[in-house]
Amino acid sequence: MKTDALQQPVGELRPEGAAGVERGRRRLWGTLTLVSMPVLLAMALVYAPEDANQGAAQRIFYIHVPSAWIGFLAFAVVFVGSIAFLATGKRRWDDIAASSAEIGVIFTTAVLVTGPLWGRPVWGVYWTWDPRLTSFLMLWLIYLSYIVLRGYVPEPIRRAKFAAVLGIVGFLDVPIVYLSARWWRSEHPTQFVVESGDLPMQMLITLLVGVATFTFFYLYLMAVRLRVGRLRARVEEAEVSR
Amino acid sequence: MSILAPALTIAGKDLRLEMKTRDVVASVGLFVLLVVVTASFAFPTGGEGREGIAAGVLWMAFLFAALLGMGRSMAIEKEDACLEGLLVSPAPREAVFLGKLLTNLGFTFAVELVILPLFVILLQLEPAGGALLLVLSAFLGTLGLVTVGTLFAAMAVNTRGREAILPLLVMPVSIPVMVAAVKVSEAGFAGTWTASTTSWLLLMVGYDALFLLVALATFQHVTEE
Repeated sequence: MKTDALQQPVGELRPEGAAGVERGRRRLWGTLTLVSMPVLLAMALVYAPEDANQGAAQRIFYIHVPSAWIGFLAFAVVFVGSIAFLATGKRRWDDIAASSAEIGVIFTTAVLVTGPLWGRPVWGVYWTWDPRLTSFLMLWLIYLSYIVLRGYVPEPIRRAKFAAVLGIVGFLDVPIVYLSARWWRSEHPTQFVVESGDLPMQMLITLLVGVATFTFFYLYLMAVRLRVGRLRARVEEAEVSR
Repeated sequence: MSILAPALTIAGKDLRLEMKTRDVVASVGLFVLLVVVTASFAFPTGGEGREGIAAGVLWMAFLFAALLGMGRSMAIEKEDACLEGLLVSPAPREAVFLGKLLTNLGFTFAVELVILPLFVILLQLEPAGGALLLVLSAFLGTLGLVTVGTLFAAMAVNTRGREAILPLLVMPVSIPVMVAAVKVSEAGFAGTWTASTTSWLLLMVGYDALFLLVALATFQHVTEE
């Protein structure tokens, strides 16, 4: 690994105008989120038809599923960022992985909160060891340990390397986690989970708007979180050079 | 330079050190025995479905054995900069990893070898037809735990939390292999080998192979300065 690339300052030596481009990106994703979020809420609460069996409770679906999608997307970004960091040694990749992990944990928490809120009126219990819920619980634990690990390593380069290894191991674990949760459940009779087979068109459209909205939200949070990381690194550099 | 020879040298060094001090196997073995005895009081260990409870308790004990042993074996390397010595030696990084993996496997298997028969007697189990399954689950499950654990132990000793953080790293990632090992052990205690038992065995083989490769590929990154 090239150590000189690792020691490059994060806050400085950036091409002129890069800050402007990033500010523009932040505004773009922020505006799109601001516009699409009320639209999503209106569609989920009014436009989408009421589910015949589950009633109004089913509407949490339009928040729950997009959250799950973002959680998964965020952890895939951690995986890619981790590999890219180990391959190139560029701190930018570590910033991306770290930011995405934090955001992923937030959305996974949303999955684990909205799941039981939906489950209670529909299945009669808050929690069921459904393979998807179980997988998200394990994912949540893995990436929580990723954040804890980062907190325990003060040296930036070492922290980046350790976190990258966990980011790779954790994501490769996901398919095995899902498989084990499925097989494990098939041996434990639990609450019957209603499969939402063919969605009516309005429900599908609302879901797609939800996924798009949450993706904008993720990109906006990423842009903000990356900026925070950059500013923090600049403060650290300024303190060292003083 | 080949990988196996230096790996065996490193594992041999740890074995000789252990023969002289009896540090790890004695303390870990006693601890695990205490876990088993305490669990025998805490859980209903007779009657219907006791194989399932026994398998769960057994793997909690094995998990503790592996975690403690790996933490110790890496902490030893931190004393007097032994790890730095290993890393500047001509042995390739993969060999250092394999050496520590062999050491950790040796420690954990040694403890398991003592605990398993005692466990069967204490919990009045009769795994007549399932001995092979028990051995397979112990081998594959421990291999998976220790592969991930050896990689993470090299990270953990270089954090502020030292060995304390090792369980936090190992446990979430190793849930699938733990579930599989418990399932196969349960089948072993009951003496019934079904189709799902084979699936669980294959899941462990896949887990072990995947993370062995990942650990070999990434170990250099957690040890270089």
